[in-house]
Amino acid sequence: MRSYWALARGSFMVGLVYRFGFLFSILGNIIYLGVAYYLWRSIYQGAETLRGLTFNETYLYVALGSTVFILLKTYADWEIAYEIREGIIAVHLTKPLDLQLLMLAYSLGATLMNLAAITLPTVLILTLVFKVSIPLGLGLALFPLSLLLALLISFCFDYFVGLLAFYIDSNWGISMTKEIIITVLSGALIPLQFFPAGLQAVLRWLPFQAIYHTPLMLVTRPDQGWETFLPMLGVQATWAVVLVVLTRLFYGQAIKVLRIAGG
Amino acid sequence: MSLIHIQDLSKHFKILNRRQGLGGAFRDLFSGDYRTVRAVDGIALDIQPGEIVGYIGPNGAGKSTTIKMMTGILKPTAGTITVNGQVPYANRIRQAQIMGVVFGQRTQLWWDLPVIESFKILKEIYRVDQATFDRHMEVFEKLVGLKELYSQQVRTLSLGQRMLCDISASFLHNPQVVFLDEPTIGLDVSIKAKIRSVVSELNRVRGTTIILTTHDLGDVEALCRRIIILDKGKILFDGPTKKVTSLFGAYRTLKLQIDDFDDTTLSSLREKLAGRFGRDHGVTVASIEELWTDVTIDQARTPLSDVLNFIMKTFPVFDVRIVEISMEKVVQQVYEGALG
Ligand SMILES: Nc1ncnc2c1ncn2[C@@H]1O[C@H](COP(=O)(O)OP(=O)(O)OP(=O)(O)O)[C@@H](O)[C@H]1O
Ligand SMILES: [Mg+2]
Repeated sequence: MRSYWALARGSFMVGLVYRFGFLFSILGNIIYLGVAYYLWRSIYQGAETLRGLTFNETYLYVALGSTVFILLKTYADWEIAYEIREGIIAVHLTKPLDLQLLMLAYSLGATLMNLAAITLPTVLILTLVFKVSIPLGLGLALFPLSLLLALLISFCFDYFVGLLAFYIDSNWGISMTKEIIITVLSGALIPLQFFPAGLQAVLRWLPFQAIYHTPLMLVTRPDQGWETFLPMLGVQATWAVVLVVLTRLFYGQAIKVLRIAGG
Repeated sequence: MSLIHIQDLSKHFKILNRRQGLGGAFRDLFSGDYRTVRAVDGIALDIQPGEIVGYIGPNGAGKSTTIKMMTGILKPTAGTITVNGQVPYANRIRQAQIMGVVFGQRTQLWWDLPVIESFKILKEIYRVDQATFDRHMEVFEKLVGLKELYSQQVRTLSLGQRMLCDISASFLHNPQVVFLDEPTIGLDVSIKAKIRSVVSELNRVRGTTIILTTHDLGDVEALCRRIIILDKGKILFDGPTKKVTSLFGAYRTLKLQIDDFDDTTLSSLREKLAGRFGRDHGVTVASIEELWTDVTIDQARTPLSDVLNFIMKTFPVFDVRIVEISMEKVVQQVYEGALG
């Protein structure tokens, strides 16, 4: 495990090298926060609640959603495709490392970097500038755990699409499709409560909502008890385990057809 | 017992014959027109602990493919291969612990981080304890003397510096065998010499087995007692380097640029050389690169200076280079039975 921790640390440090990029991420976030604020203000039009959510809850969900989005995008699909195209994957495979854990470690390091460099500043701006109050409660305490499970699920999707590059020359199209599906169906942009009831019922059975909707609802509605939160986390954990197992099985197949470019 | 044992080993790639243009690319999506490349085609070899073996051959011979199979990252199409008694492909992660690898064209160091950070990460990956790590770093410092580079970002290193760091890194965990795939590619003579001395020192001190691929026969001559020549996936020669160098060491190639070069130049050059030095004169003429005419001379039979003088008098030569015999030429000669 220490070896993967060292890799995560390395990827965190690579993030530091590119620290100036974060300024732009934060700037972009602020603009988004402003736009979303006025958009949702006009949707609420003074209404107390919509679909059972107050303006503050919805806005907190949407605003936090944009920074959580940056945390949970792992780019493992791009990374693997790039490494296969350039033949760099060979270097990784000559190390006594498991490819999935290696990629996960990289993702974790980058996520921690983004947490410190983008999410925390954005949350500060959110509370100080936009005067959004973050309610306290059990949900908030469970949020980090939920976020970790969400990262694992999100990573599995990216890793799976990455492994597809073992078979096809370019996984770009699939990558984009995955991006859109997850962004829309996970509730990353809009709380799922605003979706039509029929669609909501379907989405409840898919893994996507476990990526964004679950952790974001924990923060938006933290003042509930274990009887609400335990099933939510249980579903997340189940998806995480299922997807990790499935991608591991898929790796066993994919590695057989890997051809390494160049040299 | 051999450290590496290879029997009837083959790797075949099925390649899609791509059609041209956009329409062609589109049709490729639906119908495959495949051809098989026999990158490695039934080779057998045994390597003993502590050997340095030169694994050479022209471009596309199958050297890198063999190395990828020995390191367990490619699955052989057929045949057996064991390293230290284990099948590399079946035990990739465990086997990686006893191997070090340098692919000359890529780096195992973290591009964006200072050199020393890569060594620290590798230390954790291979579970090298602190005392061993310190001792090895000291050895590298003595041999390579790169301490002043440790705080420098890998991307800012020169190719030669990076290669020296990469080679050191591949020895960090004291592997039983190190694969060096073209570690001297694109480097100048002085850095090459340094790399040779570092590799030979590490082999001597640690007894590490080393498999070296290169296009420079000089590397092999300086480092390897044994040479394996590969071409088109087959082993042409496996034996003492001396045997090869004593045959080819005397060869030099004159590279000439001749004014008004045309279709008849080569044949007329051949005629005139044969007329002057006789048929069995150890002088052959070929044109491999555009504009350049290669005259290869076996100095044991005909002095180079005589040939050069003769050509300069007879032909309007405006540029001359003298180079050691090329890999392609060696392979061609081996085919023609030179090592028979
Ligand atoms: N991933 C791949 N897919 C298809 N063909 C491949 C692949 N890798 C190698 N080949 C083919 O296999 C043959 C051997 O390649 P290999 O890289 O082993 O040669 P090499 O001896 O290392 O050559 P070089 O000296 O140029 O590095 C070549 O014809 C190459 O085109
Ligand atoms: Mg090669």
